[in-house]
Amino acid sequence: MKSQRVRAIARRQSYVLRRAPQRWFDVIVWPVVDAILFGAIGVYFGQQRGAAAASAAFLLAGIILFHVVFQAEIGLATGFLEETWSRNLLNLMVTPLTELEYGAGVVLFGFGRLAIGVTVVSVVAVALFAFNITTLGIGLVPLVAVLLVVGWAVALVVIGLILRVGQGAEILTWGFIAFLLPMSGIFYPVSALPGALQPIAQALPTTHVFAAARALVAGHPLPWDQVGIAAAGAVVAALLAVWYLTRMLATFRRRGFISRHV
Amino acid sequence: MPEPAAALRARALVKQFRRVRAVDGVDLTVDAGERVALLGPNGAGKTTTLMMLLGVITPDEGTVELVGRSLPGQRSEAMESVGFAAGYLPLPERLRVHEFLRLFADLYGIADGRDAVARGLARFRIESLADVMGNELSSGQRTLVGIVKATLHRPQLLVLDEPTASLDPDVAHRVRSGLERSCEEDGTALLVTSHNMQEVERLCARVVFLARGRVVADGPPDQVAARFGRQDLEGVFLHLAEGGVDPISDARAVS
Repeated sequence: MKSQRVRAIARRQSYVLRRAPQRWFDVIVWPVVDAILFGAIGVYFGQQRGAAAASAAFLLAGIILFHVVFQAEIGLATGFLEETWSRNLLNLMVTPLTELEYGAGVVLFGFGRLAIGVTVVSVVAVALFAFNITTLGIGLVPLVAVLLVVGWAVALVVIGLILRVGQGAEILTWGFIAFLLPMSGIFYPVSALPGALQPIAQALPTTHVFAAARALVAGHPLPWDQVGIAAAGAVVAALLAVWYLTRMLATFRRRGFISRHV
Repeated sequence: MPEPAAALRARALVKQFRRVRAVDGVDLTVDAGERVALLGPNGAGKTTTLMMLLGVITPDEGTVELVGRSLPGQRSEAMESVGFAAGYLPLPERLRVHEFLRLFADLYGIADGRDAVARGLARFRIESLADVMGNELSSGQRTLVGIVKATLHRPQLLVLDEPTASLDPDVAHRVRSGLERSCEEDGTALLVTSHNMQEVERLCARVVFLARGRVVADGPPDQVAARFGRQDLEGVFLHLAEGGVDPISDARAVS
């Protein structure tokens, strides 16, 4: 892997973000909207008799951590989509750039995007609802790491689908994340989901991350068993995603699907 | 005895897309510094062949060796010495020309990208375009920038797909001149597809005609035309486009 190529891809992505105002929607606008929406819901619930006083903290911790997986996934998937939208895929494929270098470049830039998005939602939570996510402590680090891996794994699957079926699959960039939002128990325990959905929710690594986060918000120590399940699930998801993407890339080359992108 | 290093060596390439056999046993060698045109009517298999030669499409059968490196295993190393441009490819909208070229200079591993970009723009006399956004270029300017991109790293082999399609004569002339200069100064081998037979005769010493996925003629333009009983390449092209294939068992009898 050559760092010059990785940095070049990251720089190319940064130009796109700087010059496409609509891309700031995912990075700035959604985080602000989500923080206000779920913070306000939490405050309202907290004001109701019998409701947990810490509702806002639970909801805000959930939405802030959700933005980790969201920004990681969106950053990688839309980074690739940009090459298909601008019909730049063939140009890149006939250079020495390897798939790994390309992915590393987009992920490198994605860290910057992620930092902006998560900072925005966190700052709004502090400013408007006096909730500071960093008070949850060092236990956040493994949770964020697992969410990053899951976000990238989802993005790799989306990229594989785009390679296989074309740009029509781009809606899944947002669709898969929309599925994770209710199914991962971001704001509630899995027991709150309909019974038929609970086994699916339990199989998602994100579910165990958010369960661990709720424990931290409640003042309990980090439940390492949940973190372990989440980490193992994330590793399995990442391996499956890499396997799937590799197969779709081979299909893309074998069936000449580049013709869809020129 | 091992064959001497060539810029490109492809053997027995086959590609089948569902019911269509797009490429059917193509052999093609381009020697170092040689200028070769790959010709044929629409659907002859030119672009599929180029994409296989560049590692973008995987052949069903056959082998490809670029600048002494085998595909697909050594694709990345091979592409450090290969350039590609196509008349139909746009420039990314949100990049200025110098940013676009700098991106590719870095992808090719050029140490001083800024200098390589300046030299490339000067070679094709388009220095004034450096700060223009990609989506503000005319089709001719876009083609020129695409060829600058493909020659930034002084490749051993330059592959061009329809480089002067729909260009006005002045821009087409600048493209040809720049290419000739690039090939002469750097010893770059050229493999080009085109529907402009006059341009091909000016630029290339050898032509390879494809029809229905097969090589049907290979040699100097005048001798290929003579073998088909035509006055020039245009006559050969029209003959093949009308379906008159005349397969030649030993396509490279003339060289």
